Amino acid sequence: MDEMTNTGAGSPDTQENKYMTFKSGSEYFGLEIQYVQQIIQFQAITKIPETEDYIKGLINLRGKIVPVVDVRVRFKQGECEYNDKTCILVITVKDTTVGLIVEQIAEVVEIQKENILPPPTIGRGDKGHHKYVYGIGKVGNAVKLLLDPEKLLYDEENVDMELTMTENEE
Amino acid sequence: MAGDFNTESMLDMYLFENTQLLEQLQETVLEQKDADSFDEDSINEIFRTMHTIKGSSGIMMFDNITAVSHKLEDVFFYLRESHPDNVPHVELVEHVLEVEDFISSEMEKIRNGDPADGDATNIIADLDKFLNMIKNGGGQGEGGAAVENVHEEPKHFYIAPVASAASRFYKIFIHFFPETEMANVHAYKTVYALKEIAEDILYSPEDLLTDEKCSDEIIKEGFRVLLQAQCSEEEVRDLIGVGYDIEKVDVFECDANQFLLGFDFGDTQPLPQIDLESSVEVIEAKQEAAQTQEEQKSVEKKPETPKITPGDFVIQSKEPGRQKKLAKDKPKGEKATFINVNVNKMDQLMDLIGELVISESVVLQSSDLKVPGLNLDNFNKAAAQLASISTDLQNVIMSMRMVPLTNTFQKMNRIVFDVSRKLGKDIEFVMVGDSTEVDKNIVEHISDPLMHLVRNAVDHGIESNEERAASGKTEKGKVTLSAKTEAGKVWISVEDNGTGLDREKILAKARKQGILDDNKPDSVYTDKEVYQFITLPGFSTNEVVTEYSGRGVGMDVVVQNIQAIGGALEIESTPGFGSVMSLKIPLTLAIIDGIVMEVGTSSFVMETGVIKQFIRVKEDMMIHEPNGDEFVMIRGECYPVIRLGKWYGLEEYQESVEDGVMLILEVEDRKICLLVDKLVGEQEIVVKPIPSYIKKVKGLSGCTQLGDGSIALILDAPGLVE
Repeated sequence: MDEMTNTGAGSPDTQENKYMTFKSGSEYFGLEIQYVQQIIQFQAITKIPETEDYIKGLINLRGKIVPVVDVRVRFKQGECEYNDKTCILVITVKDTTVGLIVEQIAEVVEIQKENILPPPTIGRGDKGHHKYVYGIGKVGNAVKLLLDPEKLLYDEENVDMELTMTENEE
Repeated sequence: MAGDFNTESMLDMYLFENTQLLEQLQETVLEQKDADSFDEDSINEIFRTMHTIKGSSGIMMFDNITAVSHKLEDVFFYLRESHPDNVPHVELVEHVLEVEDFISSEMEKIRNGDPADGDATNIIADLDKFLNMIKNGGGQGEGGAAVENVHEEPKHFYIAPVASAASRFYKIFIHFFPETEMANVHAYKTVYALKEIAEDILYSPEDLLTDEKCSDEIIKEGFRVLLQAQCSEEEVRDLIGVGYDIEKVDVFECDANQFLLGFDFGDTQPLPQIDLESSVEVIEAKQEAAQTQEEQKSVEKKPETPKITPGDFVIQSKEPGRQKKLAKDKPKGEKATFINVNVNKMDQLMDLIGELVISESVVLQSSDLKVPGLNLDNFNKAAAQLASISTDLQNVIMSMRMVPLTNTFQKMNRIVFDVSRKLGKDIEFVMVGDSTEVDKNIVEHISDPLMHLVRNAVDHGIESNEERAASGKTEKGKVTLSAKTEAGKVWISVEDNGTGLDREKILAKARKQGILDDNKPDSVYTDKEVYQFITLPGFSTNEVVTEYSGRGVGMDVVVQNIQAIGGALEIESTPGFGSVMSLKIPLTLAIIDGIVMEVGTSSFVMETGVIKQFIRVKEDMMIHEPNGDEFVMIRGECYPVIRLGKWYGLEEYQESVEDGVMLILEVEDRKICLLVDKLVGEQEIVVKPIPSYIKKVKGLSGCTQLGDGSIALILDAPGLVE
């Protein structure tokens, strides 16, 4: 099976508190499962010139053209070779579908709200990825950095741009 | 049966059906607007249309629409029955159009989720006046009485259609076993089966699905059906079938008159009131039997009207029979829309077919097939078959997106009619090439611009009748709307035989507005340049602002809208003889002919139309400027060069011009050379937008999927030229 699909048919209850976790660099990240459309094997990417370095290009997802973002580059962890563990995690946030290139998919875990702590404030800004992390989830002894998908897709300046655009439209 | 409506809500169906009916109505009316009166077919059609709209609006509780359509129906009922002379035809046309406008605007409100609150009293009063006038003018008493009768009828009456000579009539009695549950549903099943062959069908009890009580009635008294069809008794029996639920089926053949009299014959129960009321024809039959024998004849005449083909039946709002008839009667002006499909579904289908093509190539080029020693003869045959089917499939879906311009042109017909009457100009409207096909999304974009152009032609272009007479023009004012396909583009032109554009006036106005260079004399500007001034915002030479034009907005909007879809507006004019406004627009936005090429590891597509030439150049033809700009001399002409690989900072592209291919592109008289590594081939490509997540890249207009599933970027020639 090269495709595990989450049809999204499950009721909100079954999706609640569940996180798709994946490894990037030395850390594990978690993304609320409701955003995840599917996971596909790494496939050829068509490069787009003149875009941000973390946007790797476009893939053809069964007739739908989807941009892909390299999570490592996004987190400023430096590029790494793609291998057979590399996956593309397709997520949909506010009607925008984007593929995330992740080094390795881990598992789906359940994290109760009381086990989620706010991110540490010390050292904020040291590491590139902290601004995308809204909480730290404890699973047994391990911790998962929980990602805010909107911030992941749009960094601050893009968010600002979005806002001004919507204002203009109004 | 509720399952049949699960995807489209009642309201959607209501709006869709009635919109189509109104379009058809308008077409019919405009077709005959210049005649002396409506012919009988049209009167019947308008009557039925109004009747259907009235019925469905009644169900949906849109009272104002119901009231207006009822009133117009009355008028046409009178026309149909009494054939009055001296009906002021133009006035009637206006009334019909007025009603059509009213209903259209109310439906627009409904579509937008607003209450349909338009006030219909004026229109109704007008129609009343009109009806009284033609009644008094025609002076036919009985007709008046007939109209009165309609007023008292319940809303859900039934229009019996017209039979052909081959029709046979049956009375059918079906008795169900007393223990049958939900006999009404079983009865409905029978009716449903019979509808397949029926030209006309009436049954009692009538409200099979809505009235659960009728189940008892069916069990007790049997289910009665009146059927008009072209088939034998055997076939009818076969269709009804003898199921576990049906105890006995009696089929009696009868003649048309008996048929019209309803269920009332000898050995059965008295005619139930509901059936009488459900049929206008039956009412007429009864009423007329009581009145004059002369009119009886006209009713009898109807079943024999030869023009109407079999299958012409009208059951409430569903009218397959009638549409069939229209299609047969009008082989030339065929209606464009036969079935309404959600555009999203079409797009989905298109995506799926794209996917199919890709998975096909994945299968056919599978590495498993490359194992040596395989005998693939049969596989290859089957593969070729599959490939040809999927190519056909692609062609079909592409053609499904293409729609003729007929509907758009019809709307213009209406505008010419309205505006010319308001302005008191006598104008002939000619349509040429309205069956030219254009992609659906383009049609949507050209409707408004065309409307402006047509209005302008009628308002500014064509002189008033007096002016025409004074300038010695003998022919009628004429507006010609024509469409043709040429060189992958569609040309739509609006031509008038009016005054033409006034060069001096435009120049004077342009000077006043400071558009012209003060140092240049008027004569420097070519006619073409001068005429283009009228497309500037706020530019109108019409001193008098009329209801329709002269405010100086319009032409600039026209140009903007046309440019938005990659088209252009050309203006030609001969003073004193009229002007021609031509829109040059692409056939489609969705599919273009493109040349696929490669640079490094990336594929690009360029629209074939802008490529003038492919050429290999030698290094010594290049001219290098110190600032890095490059030019190439080809046959004595010098072109600026863009190296696509360098421009986009790609990897592994050919450095030397001698290894690559030069494309000479021409966009609006500007030419450039584009250097790419190699050409792959020409193909039709489906244009998809680049996802909005990626910010706009200069020189790219979209992306597409190639046959092997990879993605190619579509180059935007105007962007590159800039």
